[in-house]
Amino acid sequence: MKYSLGLILLIVVVGSLIGMYLPWYAMGISAAVIAYLLGMKTKGSFTIGFAAGFLLWALAAYYTTLGHPSTLPSRMAALLPLQGNVVLLYVVTGVIGGLTTGLWVWTGARLRQKS
Amino acid sequence: MNLFKKVFPLLITLGVTYGLSNSWGTIPPFGKLLSPFHGFWQNAEAPDSGEPTEENLQIPGLQKEVKVVYDEMGIPHVFAENDHDLYLAQGYLTAKDRLWQMEFQTHFAGGRISEIVGDKGLASDQFQRRMGSVYGAEQSFEGMKADPQAKVALEAYSDGVNAYINSLSERKLPLEYKLLNYSPEPWSPIKSALFLKNMSFVLASGTDDLKMTNILRQYGREVAENLFPNYPFEESPIIPTGSPIDFKPVPIPASPKDFMGLGSAMQTPEKDPNIGSNNWAVSGNKTVSGMPILANDPHLTLSLPSIWYQMQLVAPGVNVYGSTMPGTPNIITGFNKNIAWGVTNVGSDVLDWYQVKFKDASKLEYWHGGQWKKTKLRIETFKIKGKKDFVDTVFFTHHGPVVYLSHEKAFKSNIPVGHALRWIAHEKSQELTTFYKLNRAKNYADYTQALSYYSAPAQNFVFASNEGDIALWVNGKFPLKSKLHGKYLMDGTDPAADWQGFIPQAHNPHVKNPVRGFVSSANQFSTDPSYPYYLGWQYAPSERGRRINERLTAMTKVTIDSLRGLQNDNYNIRARKLLPLLLANVRSKDKAMEELKKWNLQNSAESIAATIFETWVSTLQTFLWDDEFASDEKVPMNRPSMDRTIHLIEYEANARWWDNVKTKQKETMQEILTSSFQASLDSLQKHHGAMGPAWAWHKEKETGVRHLIPGMDALSRLHIPIGGGGTIVNATTTKTGPSWRLIVELSKKGTPKAYGIYPGGQSGNPGSSHYDDLIDTWAKGELKPLLYLDQANQSTNRIRKKITLSAK
Repeated sequence: MKYSLGLILLIVVVGSLIGMYLPWYAMGISAAVIAYLLGMKTKGSFTIGFAAGFLLWALAAYYTTLGHPSTLPSRMAALLPLQGNVVLLYVVTGVIGGLTTGLWVWTGARLRQKS
Repeated sequence: MNLFKKVFPLLITLGVTYGLSNSWGTIPPFGKLLSPFHGFWQNAEAPDSGEPTEENLQIPGLQKEVKVVYDEMGIPHVFAENDHDLYLAQGYLTAKDRLWQMEFQTHFAGGRISEIVGDKGLASDQFQRRMGSVYGAEQSFEGMKADPQAKVALEAYSDGVNAYINSLSERKLPLEYKLLNYSPEPWSPIKSALFLKNMSFVLASGTDDLKMTNILRQYGREVAENLFPNYPFEESPIIPTGSPIDFKPVPIPASPKDFMGLGSAMQTPEKDPNIGSNNWAVSGNKTVSGMPILANDPHLTLSLPSIWYQMQLVAPGVNVYGSTMPGTPNIITGFNKNIAWGVTNVGSDVLDWYQVKFKDASKLEYWHGGQWKKTKLRIETFKIKGKKDFVDTVFFTHHGPVVYLSHEKAFKSNIPVGHALRWIAHEKSQELTTFYKLNRAKNYADYTQALSYYSAPAQNFVFASNEGDIALWVNGKFPLKSKLHGKYLMDGTDPAADWQGFIPQAHNPHVKNPVRGFVSSANQFSTDPSYPYYLGWQYAPSERGRRINERLTAMTKVTIDSLRGLQNDNYNIRARKLLPLLLANVRSKDKAMEELKKWNLQNSAESIAATIFETWVSTLQTFLWDDEFASDEKVPMNRPSMDRTIHLIEYEANARWWDNVKTKQKETMQEILTSSFQASLDSLQKHHGAMGPAWAWHKEKETGVRHLIPGMDALSRLHIPIGGGGTIVNATTTKTGPSWRLIVELSKKGTPKAYGIYPGGQSGNPGSSHYDDLIDTWAKGELKPLLYLDQANQSTNRIRKKITLSAK
């Protein structure tokens, strides 16, 4: 459990640094590299990646609007269309981040796997 | 474990990542778009804190430092040390707030929308280019470059826009690029020309020649001229009747032979734009301050981002404030220390069609003046997103482009096929020089000199100066025509039908300091029929002009606030004449009748009677005319004007037109008036339920300010509770309205007092608090005081941000 939490934290921290400087998909690739280097087990790898990606994307999205009331999230929530539900917009953002990060972690783990 | 099993997840992951990086039809690239580090989240902007902030920015190409201060509305006041730096900064700052809009509008003007949206944009793109939009922009670009000052402005502006584009990282791209998944391309000076040419598209591309020829073919010349008269029954022309003529007219060319064109058949629908504008200037002897006051409100399609962008531009020799059009240098309407000016559109006929006789299917030669002449070919290539390029050949006669060949289907129902287009927008021109000089004009002489460079779209330029002058020039390049020349489709083989030169600019209709103490325009007829030249047979309905002239005549002790009241005037002058005529002919016990009888004739937001009246008027037009003039969608025709209809009700109760030819029995005027009244009520009941507050005029009219991308309701402001109407001075309709309101009181000391507003905000970013922050003030009919600074470090509590721009 501790190991999983540590991994999630690592992916989130590295991902947020990578996200600030490289294209969006580099975040996922960096998670795959972590999984590969640490030789993560394939089993459960997607779940760990999903959790990390979800947290990273949802929290970072929240951070962009922290401290000021921009109307943009509610406009986008109406446009996408999520009936203007901003909470749902954070969730969808998290799910996209979780999905891609999960897939990349799974990929990294599987590439390293021996047998 | 085999290799496939090992690589299988990689393939899936790459596939998903690729899928989320790209747009699929209208589905945006979700990965890129939602990424908190790259996508739309990055476009959320913190509002001004109230504490002024300071910032330094490096802009390559600047010669000296430029100081910029932003006020609380996000309006930049720019202080440069030379023209070059001034326009470079204008380009940079405009792009900073409006880059996507600037590029999108010029893509649209240049027929390049399919590069962004794929082949669903192709028909519109092809129409733009067949009409010669790019050809016209190239012509006018040549003209612009001929003036060295305009050339400096144009090129520096372009450099400024590019400096901003080059400074952008992917994550800082405007939201719309992220939604539609593309990136800006470098700006170039010809894009400014494209933008200006597009104003001719917006304002001077209306054409009824085809519909008029269809009417001519169906009903003959006598009926066509009777129902579509060349001057309205009720009018109050822009140049007051009896104004002196201070020039000796040149001879008018002989009329071409009467020509019965083929007309043509098409099925595509066409929208009737409700675009017009008001402006006026009141002389000092009618104002409380004793100084002239000028007001302007151009009515255009209401859009977000707004068509206008406010700025103050200061450099040696110029200190001007007003509204700019993102995409072009200079202030378009505004004021400086000494003068103020504004514009409204002129509805003159500057677009004509010539039926072309080709020699054979190759279309390389056409018949004109008794000989075969060669066509010129222009190749237009369309890049289409996700598809192969499309190459189109446009044939030009000496008139202009053959917009659609005989076998093609036109994009709009008023565009004839098999005809060459002669259009003022294809002429070489120097509009930029006009605005450059107006920005710096000190008096009436400077103003008239500036106007002499202007071609199209023709505008009523209203003027006031702190020397006490007021004036109005109906200004543009007008073809020298015989009477009614170009009312109908013309014979392309007849040289007498060609345009025979232009009216000398100094002979354009104008008036200076008239006895009545004011000048005004609202798109109505420029002059009464005594003016020596023919400009066109059809202008905007006269109601707004008549109301404005009636009010300005009556008003004394005029102030900025009383003119603000006039800009928001909701009085229905049409109803004053028409309603009693209608009521006298219709017997009905319906409650709606009582509502109309007690109506104060105000098209106010909550008025129920206004809803009933406006619905009745449009239903009546349909009931009265559509059996004869809209019976076959393959033969599009015009309906006679409301002015003509009112005359018919008043004096021609027995006209043949009252009968509905689609029924066996013969209808009378009373029957048509009554049945249209009943049908209006039925339709209102169907849409809004029983008569009551749900019938409020604003709920029927539904004014909205919509994002430039159709259907983006989340980025639009809809259901704005506001009164007015198309023939009301407060000309707010469903999609159009006062796109900018300006009132300026001049001062001897060079400290003009100015107020303004537009329905939008300075920022084009939907994530900014300045995206739509002016709409509510606009909807209330209020204005904001405009900050006119002398120098960058002037102390005022309205400054929110200071930026210093320098090359290094």
